[in-house]
Parts: sequence; structure tokens; C-alpha cells
Amino acid sequence: MRKLILLLFAIMPAIAFGQGFQVNLHGQKQIGMGHTGTGLLQDGASVLFNPGAVAMLPQNYVQAGMSPLLFKSDFNPSGSTDQYRTKNKIATPFTAYGVWGPKDARWKIGLGVYTPYGGLTDWGQDWAGKYSLESLNLKAIYFQPTLSYRVTDFLSLGAGFVYNHGTVDLTRAIPVTDASGNDGQAQLKGSGHGFGWNAGAFIKTNVGLTIGLDYRSQVNTTVKNGDAIFKVASSIQPNFPQPNTFTTTLPLPSTSSIGLGYKPSNKWTVAVDVNFTKWDVYKTLGFDYAKNTPTLQDTYSPRNYKNGWSYRAGAEYKATDKIFVRGGGGYVTTAVKDGYVTPEAPDANRYYLTAGLGYKVTKSLDLDVSFEYEHLDARTQTNIESQLSGTFKTNVYIPGLSLAYHW
Amino acid sequence: MKTYRSYLHILLVTGLLGFGACKTSINTPAPSRGTADFTRYISVGNSLTAGYADGGLYREGQLNSYPSIIAAQMQKVGGGTFTQPLFSTDQANGSGYLRLVGFNADGTPKTEQVTSNLAIRGQITVPGFGNVILYTKYTGDINNYGVPLIKLQQITYAPYGNLSGYFERLLPGNSPTNTTSYLDFVTAKPYTFFTDWLGNNDALLYAITGGADPNLRLTDKALFSQLYNLSITQLTKSGQKGAVATIPDVVAVPYFTTVTVGAILAGVQKVNPAAKALYVNALNSDGSHSARIATAADLIILSFPTSMMGQPVAAAGNLPYGLTPLTPIEDKYVLDQGEVAMTQDYVNAYNATIKSVASSKGLAIFDAYAFLNDVKAHGLVVDGVNLSSAFISGGIFSLDGIHLTPRGYAVVANEFIKAINKQYNASIPLANVSSYRGVKFPGDNTK
Repeated sequence: MRKLILLLFAIMPAIAFGQGFQVNLHGQKQIGMGHTGTGLLQDGASVLFNPGAVAMLPQNYVQAGMSPLLFKSDFNPSGSTDQYRTKNKIATPFTAYGVWGPKDARWKIGLGVYTPYGGLTDWGQDWAGKYSLESLNLKAIYFQPTLSYRVTDFLSLGAGFVYNHGTVDLTRAIPVTDASGNDGQAQLKGSGHGFGWNAGAFIKTNVGLTIGLDYRSQVNTTVKNGDAIFKVASSIQPNFPQPNTFTTTLPLPSTSSIGLGYKPSNKWTVAVDVNFTKWDVYKTLGFDYAKNTPTLQDTYSPRNYKNGWSYRAGAEYKATDKIFVRGGGGYVTTAVKDGYVTPEAPDANRYYLTAGLGYKVTKSLDLDVSFEYEHLDARTQTNIESQLSGTFKTNVYIPGLSLAYHW
Repeated sequence: MKTYRSYLHILLVTGLLGFGACKTSINTPAPSRGTADFTRYISVGNSLTAGYADGGLYREGQLNSYPSIIAAQMQKVGGGTFTQPLFSTDQANGSGYLRLVGFNADGTPKTEQVTSNLAIRGQITVPGFGNVILYTKYTGDINNYGVPLIKLQQITYAPYGNLSGYFERLLPGNSPTNTTSYLDFVTAKPYTFFTDWLGNNDALLYAITGGADPNLRLTDKALFSQLYNLSITQLTKSGQKGAVATIPDVVAVPYFTTVTVGAILAGVQKVNPAAKALYVNALNSDGSHSARIATAADLIILSFPTSMMGQPVAAAGNLPYGLTPLTPIEDKYVLDQGEVAMTQDYVNAYNATIKSVASSKGLAIFDAYAFLNDVKAHGLVVDGVNLSSAFISGGIFSLDGIHLTPRGYAVVANEFIKAINKQYNASIPLANVSSYRGVKFPGDNTK
């Protein structure tokens, strides 16, 4: 008889994105100043930072930038001296903005294309957490047409519509050994889309202080009929029917921001921003497979994220008529509660420091470079679902470059 | 302008490459051997210690034995080399072992015996004992003294080297000329640390044969205590430190929990709906056996050929096998409720001895009894893998339902290490369980 109660290997794909997946690389001038910008009028990046500010921009803009990102995580399993490090993979968040309005008109229109969420993590196939994750490549690209209107000289409002195109490609090992001694492997790969909006207000006070308010809505992104590829020993392939598809929804959370800008002299600009990201919408992660077997069940993993805050400050110094020097930094609280930290983006409280340099190539062409260093606190955790236990520590290095043409 | 741009480009690229070189690192305190000395570690025990798996002793199992996993970790705190009496690569399949070849339509596994590249050199008949299979001799240093099938009861028995092919292969002399007892053999060469996981077979060999073999009785409790005291005294005679393990509960292993009375009856009823009950030949309180209706508390062994069920038994008027009081399932296939209780009583007594002796000598104790019962009750999640005591799918137990997979042995190694660290204030790093395999499934990964 030797009844084999049908194989029940838990397959729990997890796309756990945290603050770590919120990519705040939205413009080189703003990065240089510690990601401030809600309460400033810097350039076309206002489309994202504050659509309300767009109508106040003195000129029209076309600009694009890229911030290659190197995410370097280290994992040390509890009770071990082993260290596992993510591979050097470079993610490429980018931005492109256009802002246009007739000269002296009260309105401007804008378009932003940017990558507010994403992650590129590759732990390889031989690390202790391979059954949780081998690699993840997650990208969300937002397209945002925007309209902004200057109500009075001291108040302007704006709003945009957001279309998100998201892609995910996740691999993890399956704890089923084949005849040659190899693990099985699962790959979940697909794309989806979602919709949202944003709105903002920009206020100029008569004491030189500028104030920005911005709200970016939640964007539920549904990946429908993505490919669910399972490579396992041929004798148990029927437990993992192929071809198969999966459907999942990721709630990319809303962000509320308030920003202040101030020019203490004509050489200096200082700014602070506070952001609130409503991560608590991320309660569970579900994967619904088109074909289920007793082995391959739909999964629901608890996430129970908490809301995150970020506090940002930065300054710009006009060294000459052509050269601008920038610096800034910030502190971001984690969205991931104890027990829920996963290797996709091992989230923790983090601080970052930024620096930037702006160069006016011509009267209407800005070249800006930025650099950011982010440090995530070491966090020792046992994941309640996978029991993966150990310490994660992460550093992120992000240079960046943009060109802005304005007239 | 152009040079400026390309300069920036170079800056960006080299900058990123530069950051690629800087490592994120977590400071881990240097591991320590604490108050123990692992210069020469030896492992004492039976098949579990030898790395026996899938119903046989073979090279891959040896290479993944828990003592070898422990030793590799000990080397990070100054432990010495650890040499195992491995079968050669030419004779890698050792005694032969079971491998999974597929599944029947009902999901039950099909296994076959591996018979190539064995290390069998012959067989002799020992008068008054029986046949002994002899294996290719191992010569060389030995740190892992695991000998499959050995009972604690046999460790001082001088002729044992003539009765056990697995022990004989480690000895210089040929059966039947050996006179070195197991205990003397393992303690002959100096060592600084030992693990000792003896005693399982004093209960297990009785249990796996359904309590039916008159030559495989439960070892007397007092004798067990006497020999355990003796062995620990000898193992620690020069002040050596060590770790011992308790004996798992017989009902914690899939050998006894996979083929159940309920499942067999359900299978019988598919063919013969009139069948109401199974009959087993069960132990009475006076020591005799008689037939009675089987209950869920009677444990059927993993290797019971279920195809026998309902077959006419010629010696009993062609009544169907297993379904009448005159044709009960034979004793050798069943560890019935009374036998289970008796085995558990002995195991509890043995474990009480093990714990008290080890405590009195200040040895580390891995309570395998408690650990495996906990795994059976709650499963175990390690590094994202759900492990359990289930046959094949559980990932811990190999195809014989008693011995472990490499992954199971890695789990055991870590439990030993935790016990050693605790007792000797050491910090031997744990092994990476996820790098060890579970049961091998037929076929390669699909492309």
C-alpha cells in the first residue's frame, strides 16, 4: 500500500515589496537635494512631485534622466557565519517629463513617465533562502498626463491621471530533488496594469516660503494570466501542471506629501519634505493559479504592512551662474513589521545621503548629476512563514544623470 | 562639451563598477569552541551515525552523515580532520539501497533495489548465528564509527566483529577471527570529543519486525543501564567531552505511520465492500498472541505487502488473508497496540538512563525523542522548506521510512550542534540545511 499522501510541498511565491521597492529617484535636481521637491519649483519633475506646482513653473521643459541603482544586500543566517550576498545587478529607474503652456497663460499641461516602484534582487541559486527567493525583477512604469492651473499668483492647483504598466519576473527553488540531485524551480512571469491619479497644490507666501501639498493615489496593479513555470522532476510534473498561469494583485500604495521651500539668500535654496506612504493596504498577497492540484494550491500569504514615513531635507547652493551644488538626506521608516521581512527587498529603517551637481550647459540646457547612498539598518528576523532566520543588511548606491531642456 | 559628457559617462560606469566591488558585510562574532576541544572528534553509533539511508549504506549517504556535517562545522572552531570509512567511488553503492522509480496510479511509490557497484566481497555462515554478508574492507583512519544494526547490548561482545559485516569491514581481521569489541575498538585511539547515539536498535529492531522475531527482543532495561553507564564511563575516561542523543519514539517514524489499518481496510473495501474489519495477531498481557480486530492503534509496517490482503490462505480453508480471526495479518507485519506500549515503555526507560548518565557526566544531550515527536506533531519549517514526518513528501525520512535523507541528517546535525553549543558555551556555526537534498524523485527537471 505505501500510500503516499499526495505531495504537499508548499509553494508560496512572495512578492513582498516594501519601502525598499518604493523608488524615489524622480529627478536629478531633487535627488541631489535629498529627494525634496514638493514645495519647490525646480523643473519638469514637478509633474510627479506636485502637479499643483507645474503651472507656476517659469518655463516649458523637456527632460529625461536615469539613475542606475545597485542594491547590495547581505544575509547572515542565524547561528551561522555564512554570508550570502546579492549579485551585482544594475536596475535602471528612469524619468522623463514634459511641461508646456503658452507664455503667460494660467495653465500648463504635462506628461511624466517614471518608475516609482521596482526592484532587482538576485541572490543566486545556492543561498540559504533559495526556497523563498532566488531572483526578482519587478518594475512599475507610470504614465501620467497632467493639467495644472494657476488660480492666483500665490496658489496653483494641478492633477494627473496615472496609468501603470507593471512587470514581474520571480524565480525561486522548489524543495523537490530530481534524479540528478537538483532542486526544482518555479518562475512567475507576467505583466499587468493599473490606474490611479494624483493631485497637488502649490502656495507662494509673501515671506519667501513656498508650500507644496501632493497626493498620489493607490494604484492596484493586477497581473493577469502571467506564466507560472514549474520545472520539477519529470515523475512529479503532473503535480505542477504545465502550461499554467497565475493572477495576482499588488496594491501600490498611496503617498501623501507636504513640502516647504525657502530661499534664505539668492544663492541658497533649502527644502524639507515629509511623505506618508499608506502601506497598510498591503494585507495579504494572493496567487491564484489557473490549474490547481493538491500540491499546487492557490496561496494567501499575510503581509500586514504598516504605514511608512519619510523625512527629507536638502539644500542647493548656486556657486556660480552656471554651477549648482546640492546636498541632502533623509530617514525612512520601514513598512515591514517584525516577522514579515523577506529577501525580495529586506526592508528596514533606512537613512540616505545625497549629493548633486548642476551645470548650465547653455541658457536652456541643464545637465545634472546626482549620487545617493542608502543604508538599511541590519535587521535580524525570523520570517513567520518561511522561518528563514538571520540578519539582513543592505546598502544601495545610486549615481544618476539627467538633461533638461527648457525654454 | 563632448569630452565633458564622455568624462561623465566614464565616471558613472567606473563609479558603479567601483560600488560593485564594495561589499555589504554583517559583522559576525568569531565562532568559538567554548570549553570543548574538537581536535579529534569521533562519532559512536549505529546506522543513523553511519549515514545509512534508503535501506542501505552507500557512499552518498556516508558523505551526508550527521557526524560529517557536524565535523565540517567544528572545523570552523578549530576542529580536526574527520575521516569516514567511505565506500570507494567504484563501489559507491555499498550494500545497495532503494531508489524511487515512479508512482502507481493511486499515488503510491514504486521502488527498486540498486544492485550495481556494490561493495560486497562475500558471505560467510557463522555457526549458531547465520549468514553474514561481508563488505570490502576499509583501511585507514576512522572518525565515524557508526555501525549499522549494532545494539548497545552488543558493544562489549568480543565476537561481534564476526557477526556484523558492517563492523567487520572496519576491523583488520576477517570474520570469524575477530575478538575486538566495538567499545574497545572505538576508544582505542585518543580523541578529544565524541558523539554517541547508540541504543536505537535495542528497541527498533524488535519493533520493525513486528515484535515477531525471537532473536530480536527488547534489551533488558537493567542491562541497557549497565552498558550505557559502562560505555559513557569508558568514552569519558580521559576527561573527553561529548554529546549523546536519546532514542526516538517508534511511532515518530513513517515506517510505522504510513500504511495504516484504516487505509488498508479502505483499499480492501473497494474490492470487497462486505469486509468490515482487519484482523491482526496481537500480543496478550500474558505474552501470548491471538487474533483480534485491528484498530488504529496497531501499526502496520511500511513494507507490508498489501497485495496479500484478501488472498485465500490455503492452510486455513482458503479464508481471505487478514480478514478473519483464523487468517489474521501475521505478527511480523504488525506492531500491535500492546507491542507499541511495551516498546514505548522500554524506550522511555532507556531515555531516562541516557539523560541521567549524560547529565551526571556533564555531556550535551540532543533529545531526539522530543525533537522527532515535535516534528511529527507540528512539522518543521526550515529556510522556507516545510518538513514533516510524512513518508517521501516530508523531506526528512528516506525511502526506508526509518533513516534520514541528507536534509534530515543536516537537521539532526544542527540539533546536535545546538546542544553542544549550549552545554560547552561554544558557538559552532550551524549547517545550511537548504543545501542538503530530500528524497530524490525519478526523472530530471523538466526543461
